[in-house]
Amino acid sequence: MGREKEKENPSQKALNLLRTRLSNPNFVFKPLSDSPDSNYSKLKFIISSSITEACNNSILLLGPRGSGKVAVLELVLSDLLQQYPEAISVIRLNGLLHGDDNCALKEIARQLCMEHQLLFSKVASFDDNSQFLIAMLRECGLAHKTIIFVLDEFDLFAQAKQRLLYSLLDAMQSVTSQAVVIGVSCRLDVDQLLEKRVRSRFSHRKLLFLPPSKEDTERFLEHILSLPKDSSLPHSYTVEFNGRLKNVLADERFKELINTYLSFNSTIGQLMRFLFQAVSYMDLDVGFLSLENFKTALSSTQRQPKSECIKDCSILELYLLVCMKRLEVKEQNSYNFNSVMTEYKSIHDFQTSDNYAGNVCLRAFEHLLQRELISFTDNRGHNQSVEFRPVKLLISPAELYQGLKSYRSCPAILLKLIAR
Amino acid sequence: MATETPKKQLQSPRKPKQSLNNLKVQSSPLSISLSPQTPQSLIPPQAPPRRSLRRTSLHFSSTPIEDSIEYEKSDPKTPRKAVEEIGKISGQSRKGQSHEERVKTPKTPKIPKSKRNDENRKTAKLGILGEGMVEAEVTFSSVTPEVLETKKRKRGEDKTVIPRAMATRSSKKKEKKRVYYKKVVYDEGEFDVGDDVYVKRREDASSDDEVPEMEECRVCFRAGRSVMIECDDCLGGFHLKCLKPPLKEVPEGDWVCGFCQAQKLGKYVEFPEPPEGKKRVRTLREKLLASDLWAARIESLWKEVDGSFWFRGRWYMIPEETACGRQPHNLRRELYRTNDCADIEMESIIRHCNVMSPKEYAKANDEGDDVFLCEYEYDIHWHSFKRIAEIDNDEADDEHADSDEDWNSSKEPDSGTDEDMEYEEESTRNAQARLSTAHLAANSRKGHFFGLQKIGTKKIPEHVRCHKQTVLERAKATLLLATLPKSLPCRNKEMEEIMAFVKGAICDDRCLGRCLYIHGVPGTGKTMSVLAVMRNLKSEVDAGSIRPYCFVEVNGLKLASPENIYRVIYEALTGHRVSWKKALQLLNERFSDGKKIGKEDDRPCILLIDELDLLVTRNQSVLYNILDWPTKPHSKLIVIGIANTMDLPEKLLPRISSRMGIQRLCFGPYNYQQLQEIISSRLKGIDAFEKQAVEFASRKVAAISGDARRALEICRRAADIADYRIKKQISTVNSSTGKDIVTMAEVDAAIQEMFQAPHVQVMKSCSKLSKIFLTAMVYELYKTGMGETTFEKLAMTISCLCTSNGEAFPGWDTILKVGCKLGECRIILCEPGDRHRLQKLQLNFPSDDVAFALKDTKDLPWLAKYL
Repeated sequence: MGREKEKENPSQKALNLLRTRLSNPNFVFKPLSDSPDSNYSKLKFIISSSITEACNNSILLLGPRGSGKVAVLELVLSDLLQQYPEAISVIRLNGLLHGDDNCALKEIARQLCMEHQLLFSKVASFDDNSQFLIAMLRECGLAHKTIIFVLDEFDLFAQAKQRLLYSLLDAMQSVTSQAVVIGVSCRLDVDQLLEKRVRSRFSHRKLLFLPPSKEDTERFLEHILSLPKDSSLPHSYTVEFNGRLKNVLADERFKELINTYLSFNSTIGQLMRFLFQAVSYMDLDVGFLSLENFKTALSSTQRQPKSECIKDCSILELYLLVCMKRLEVKEQNSYNFNSVMTEYKSIHDFQTSDNYAGNVCLRAFEHLLQRELISFTDNRGHNQSVEFRPVKLLISPAELYQGLKSYRSCPAILLKLIAR
Repeated sequence: MATETPKKQLQSPRKPKQSLNNLKVQSSPLSISLSPQTPQSLIPPQAPPRRSLRRTSLHFSSTPIEDSIEYEKSDPKTPRKAVEEIGKISGQSRKGQSHEERVKTPKTPKIPKSKRNDENRKTAKLGILGEGMVEAEVTFSSVTPEVLETKKRKRGEDKTVIPRAMATRSSKKKEKKRVYYKKVVYDEGEFDVGDDVYVKRREDASSDDEVPEMEECRVCFRAGRSVMIECDDCLGGFHLKCLKPPLKEVPEGDWVCGFCQAQKLGKYVEFPEPPEGKKRVRTLREKLLASDLWAARIESLWKEVDGSFWFRGRWYMIPEETACGRQPHNLRRELYRTNDCADIEMESIIRHCNVMSPKEYAKANDEGDDVFLCEYEYDIHWHSFKRIAEIDNDEADDEHADSDEDWNSSKEPDSGTDEDMEYEEESTRNAQARLSTAHLAANSRKGHFFGLQKIGTKKIPEHVRCHKQTVLERAKATLLLATLPKSLPCRNKEMEEIMAFVKGAICDDRCLGRCLYIHGVPGTGKTMSVLAVMRNLKSEVDAGSIRPYCFVEVNGLKLASPENIYRVIYEALTGHRVSWKKALQLLNERFSDGKKIGKEDDRPCILLIDELDLLVTRNQSVLYNILDWPTKPHSKLIVIGIANTMDLPEKLLPRISSRMGIQRLCFGPYNYQQLQEIISSRLKGIDAFEKQAVEFASRKVAAISGDARRALEICRRAADIADYRIKKQISTVNSSTGKDIVTMAEVDAAIQEMFQAPHVQVMKSCSKLSKIFLTAMVYELYKTGMGETTFEKLAMTISCLCTSNGEAFPGWDTILKVGCKLGECRIILCEPGDRHRLQKLQLNFPSDDVAFALKDTKDLPWLAKYL
């Protein structure tokens, strides 16, 4: 028993280590940061130059979700906070939370007060807060302190009048201030959203975050999955783990598997999620990563929810779906429960099999609505009862046909009906 | 924890002092003057440290304040904890403040009364009862000024006084009044407000007389007429001929004497001893830097009732006296301005010294020995540094206003007019600023922010001083939008027009319906030109060629709502905060009915409204009101509106456009020559850009928008890119051979970054399925000729493409997800994913871009067929 436990220990530890790594963006993005072409060093240069040279800047970080915009930014900020302690205050806003100008300005004032140990008043008006912001920018500039505004989901700030952005950027071009505005967004056309007078004041520095290249991904996998030599894990275990991992990584099947995954989504964030899943499938008794783990992870990520829904449907529900499909083929574009029922009845005119009553069919119909295999065409007419509201099929005929074919006991007549 | 209220700590030990003072006053009224003591007349027996001495001079008690310094360090009370004690504390601190005020007016029986009133009102407003204060005041007002008369020295023959704008008021003035001056001639020296002077620290008779005018050479110990050179390290002077080897002329750049060089190398150096019998005389500068003297800046000058002359001095500090001591990058001649003031008798002034800002200092060549550099202000409570703003805030002016109008005006305290209120506000503001009241929110009302003085660096960061700017960094600094250029090229015509308009409006007595509408695309210098004209006019007002006017600037985008503009205007005009409805009523009274309240109200008023289009409301009443005022006979209002759109007046109601659209001024976009001139005028003297590079940038911007900000930003970014490249090179190759000049390549990169959407790069690097998805979209577009397609059709196309090219079809839901991801980046426009097969899709970029991006994809060569 005791020996077993000892055996189990290193693999459990290794699993924990890998999971910690995968959920820590700093570890993931660190190795990508040294080269001069990396976004990390470019961003660091821009921010640190505006600290040392006392100038204002505004930067946009663009890239698809999961490409590590915020992670790299946080890495840079934590480095700079170490390098210039007390000279930086970071104000973090999120467009989802502070899209409203008034509320954003209040939040800025709050964070500035926190940062400088001033007392914050909740009831201050928009004017007061914006004057406070300008005064703070000035005072901080005079004291050689840089304020960094991080605006996550920047596109949501670039809506309506854009008062916040205007007053921020206008203060930055007229006061002796030291401030950096960093907008983070996954919308590539975000600078087109800015109003023209705001755009004119924006510095338009852009950093584009792209998915890593193939070679980078491979280096990456090794960097993340191999265990460190100098850890508390037993040496022999580490060596064997890394050896086996190398074999897995070199395996052609593995490469293919990773490629399938990457062909779907190649950002780092997604890759991390995939690896986390794979690592979690690791068999603790064996204690090593195997190809099987990755396979299971892949199959669990590539789910087809709609066709799986069909597998769970009852025969009657399949009948209803087929009826709707037949109506669509007849170019009857708008249909509701009643018209579906007439079609259902007409099917059963010449074929005598499971013929159900109207109220049973209605239950099945409602179930389909809940499963989102069908939906109402419009949001109007909430007060109408379900039978009269027009619906639409949300699953394509091809998918439906596939689903029927793979259904375990599909009546042959249904397949015939759908083909016609 | 450095965040407690230091003021309180400073004040807390004062209570016993008060009583001590009282005692003394009673026991020996002749020896203790109640007027603020000058450092000179204060000779403590044991010569306490300098800081405390200063404080004593401020608060006229001769208790040694070593203990107060202890207090300063040890009092652990946080402001919040002290809330229940606030009454007491601020009573005390109020006392401290009233000290200062009392110091100013100990002998005028009228004003203290009104002041006391004011103070009481103030305290009541804050909800604090200053009992201690009242008590203290009783003590002081009981002292008659005559007591002091005996002590005053004879003086006055050599005094000429130049009063400032006092002629009109002098008739009103009573005898027992303090008289404020702008300039005083005293002991054959002229002292202005704003001058810097040496102040005696203690009576040191021997050194007092023989202040050497000329510095002596460190080698031969004679002053002489020949040229001397100053060592940049020890500040010692040397005759050129006394050096070994002798120098012919003063070398460029820094020069360090042989002694300092040797000392730096670690050798023991023996300085030449002065010849026998001759004592080395230290100059005032040396004494100051050794803290045997003080320097102060004159903030105000006045004559007391008894005829003695006083000034209010703001202390300078040498770096050694600050909390963190001398920092390695401090210059030898550096001083800090403090926020600590004291009233000093003119007697203790030795002579002028010259404290300059870094810019002036760099320009100063042979101004003599008494030149100092001052870049930072030092907060004595928080021990923090702050740069002195270049345009000194109007604090000094405020003080003048105080002294000039409010202090001397002999209005009865109960007249309750505007001025009193103004004064009250003013003094509360000052008081609160001084108090650093931590119990008031920083971002709250009253137009003043509390606790901002807390912000300041504990130490001046090294990179600010020790870093020598490279050419590129200097270029970047001048290209910043925030740096105000010395001249505004290319807008002379427009500026003249604005100037003519404003002058015409001001100078004519009948300013009827004056309204100017300025339009032009962003970044064409509209606001800047107007402000430049205003600056010119201000200097003309100062010169006296134009009548004074008031200028109000409002930005439409910075108002919370259009109606708020009334409030902002009213506040700018009078300094009062009222609701916008009240403000509208008051402004209507002033402009339409011609009701003038204050004496400044009959000045013409220039109102600049930036981003005018933001003031358009549904019924356009705001714009109408504002534009209607100028047409009224006695309004004397001139409105300058700025907006982007050319036809804004036409879009508005006819009654508005008839009032606004008469005089218009258009700022056209800059053409490339103008942009080039703007950039090169900024870059004058900095050889960082290739000429073609500047031209390329300006041509590009002129072709797109003609926005000067854009052009400057492109150049700055290009300099940034070049700087980055060079710095990386140095760090990797360790050779600084890279040519530090901005070329076309960098400008091109900057232009790309600014103007090009990054979608091509994203498409190139996106995942395989996304590429197939995009190809299918393009294919669908070609096939049907319709921009919009549904997901169902697209999925069919994708499955066709996949099967015919040997790719595995991944399934409908995966493709849906891929599409939604692309939609997130706005490469395609799409409806939410829950519409599934009904989802509508559309390319957000021209299909050519997609074709260009995906044409040569390595792992999917077959895509090119369908593009």
